[in-house]
Amino acid sequence: MILKLLASTLLLTLGSASAASLTVFAAASLTDAFAEIGRSFDAATGNTTTFQFAGSQALRTQLDNGARPDVYASANNAQFDPLVKSGLLSSGQPFLSNRLAVIAPRNNVKIQTLLDLSKPGVRLVIADKAVPVGDYTRRMISAIDKSGAYGKDFSGKFLKNVVSEEPNVRQVALKVQLGEADAAVVYSSDVTPALRPSVRVIALPTRFNQSASYPIGILKNSAHPEAAQAFVKFVLSAEGQAILKKWGFLKPPAQPATRISSVAVRAAIMGDDAMPTVRARK
Amino acid sequence: MPALPLALSVLLVLFLVLPLLALLLRGLNAQFLPTLLGPVVLDALQVSLLTTSCTMILTVLLGTPVAWLLARHDFAGKTALDTLLDLPIVLPPVVAGVGLLLAFGRNGLLGAPLELAGISVAFSPAAVVLAQLFVAAPFYLRTAKAGFMAVDRDVEDAARTDGADRWTVFRYITWPLAFAFLLEGLVLTWARALGEFGATILFAGSLQGKTRTITLAIYSALESDLAPALVLSAVMVVVAFTVLVVVRRLGSAHTSR
Repeated sequence: MILKLLASTLLLTLGSASAASLTVFAAASLTDAFAEIGRSFDAATGNTTTFQFAGSQALRTQLDNGARPDVYASANNAQFDPLVKSGLLSSGQPFLSNRLAVIAPRNNVKIQTLLDLSKPGVRLVIADKAVPVGDYTRRMISAIDKSGAYGKDFSGKFLKNVVSEEPNVRQVALKVQLGEADAAVVYSSDVTPALRPSVRVIALPTRFNQSASYPIGILKNSAHPEAAQAFVKFVLSAEGQAILKKWGFLKPPAQPATRISSVAVRAAIMGDDAMPTVRARK
Repeated sequence: MPALPLALSVLLVLFLVLPLLALLLRGLNAQFLPTLLGPVVLDALQVSLLTTSCTMILTVLLGTPVAWLLARHDFAGKTALDTLLDLPIVLPPVVAGVGLLLAFGRNGLLGAPLELAGISVAFSPAAVVLAQLFVAAPFYLRTAKAGFMAVDRDVEDAARTDGADRWTVFRYITWPLAFAFLLEGLVLTWARALGEFGATILFAGSLQGKTRTITLAIYSALESDLAPALVLSAVMVVVAFTVLVVVRRLGSAHTSR
């Protein structure tokens, strides 16, 4: 009996020795999707994957200061490329793209159109400028400014209404969910099933929207390079992409290798639907 | 001195001192003054000084009567109230922030009446003050209560027999005798308010020049431009050291009496 137990324990230990425990740093917007990808990946490979979700810029600071996960997935290249340059990451690849969404509390009628965002007395919450989504948000308002569609100095009035600059996109979404902000700018993928009942999505014309491309890469001194490689492969696989799509993300921007389908990809990303979130999921 | 305890002590002292030294070394560099005078740092210092000052005034105005009542009067449920007032010291600040949002936020318990009155608390400097008051005032309450309890009741009674009314006794006897305690409590409260992070970022948000206090500024600067973060961190080390020296002085003041 005891021998049997010992033998099975030994087997278990040996079995788990070959499976790696993988650490993945990922942008806050990936929280739900990567948690699900992690479960599928672990079930398929026997690895144990743990995640740390935060603003990409916070994760980059940690990487710069000695944090050593195996994989890093950032919400923009600005927080990714310098790590490749400094030799911490082997070069990455885009694995999904995302779009912006302007959201407002469902029961708050103050905000109906983009123009309302510039009206005095409106409380807006956006991400800090170092946060990828905060950077995209500022590009969005300057695109609106340039078009002149909403009058002079839209961005000035918009920024004057900002009451908080949050450290990651999920904190931005939270403030709308709690009804504390009149509107916020997040990714369309942040309008998750958990958030949807409490928010409305304000129409954002495609020409003002920004395409966010997310790169993923492996740390050069990862202790489990093979498992890390397998994780990245899984994210890029049909199964991984299906999970990402389910959570409202779009396919990565066209790559040279997938040139044939680039028209289709571009159509998927640049679609003229004003609210990709609503369309992406039923 | 025995070798093993000495070696272990050196280890701990080094461990505690080394990070502080690193902060000072990195923070107090040639860029210190220009960075200190930059808008990011100046705004953060201004917000922190303004909000902690308001918190101090509210703490003294509201905390002193409570501490005095708790020290001088017995009533039903006093022990329960005493424990309740200590709770924020043990509560994680982020929980305090959620509580404040659910109480004073737009959709909170008092949200609707406050909105009707045209008062919007969340994301304002007032929210920073409320967050600080919630997490820090209990430190003042504790020390002030101990101070009032330490005052010799016979001295007060003597004054009263000489015809002094209640306020005069408090003003000229109780307050001066408990003063060192009150001041120590206030310094501790100020330090705690200055370092507040979790409740503030949740309830007041983070906006430069308005609600972004020193700790929030350090957090946000760490993610883009390291220089202000290092300068502010060095400033905090110096401030913390000064606070402790003051508190120790005050501590010895009320024991030597």
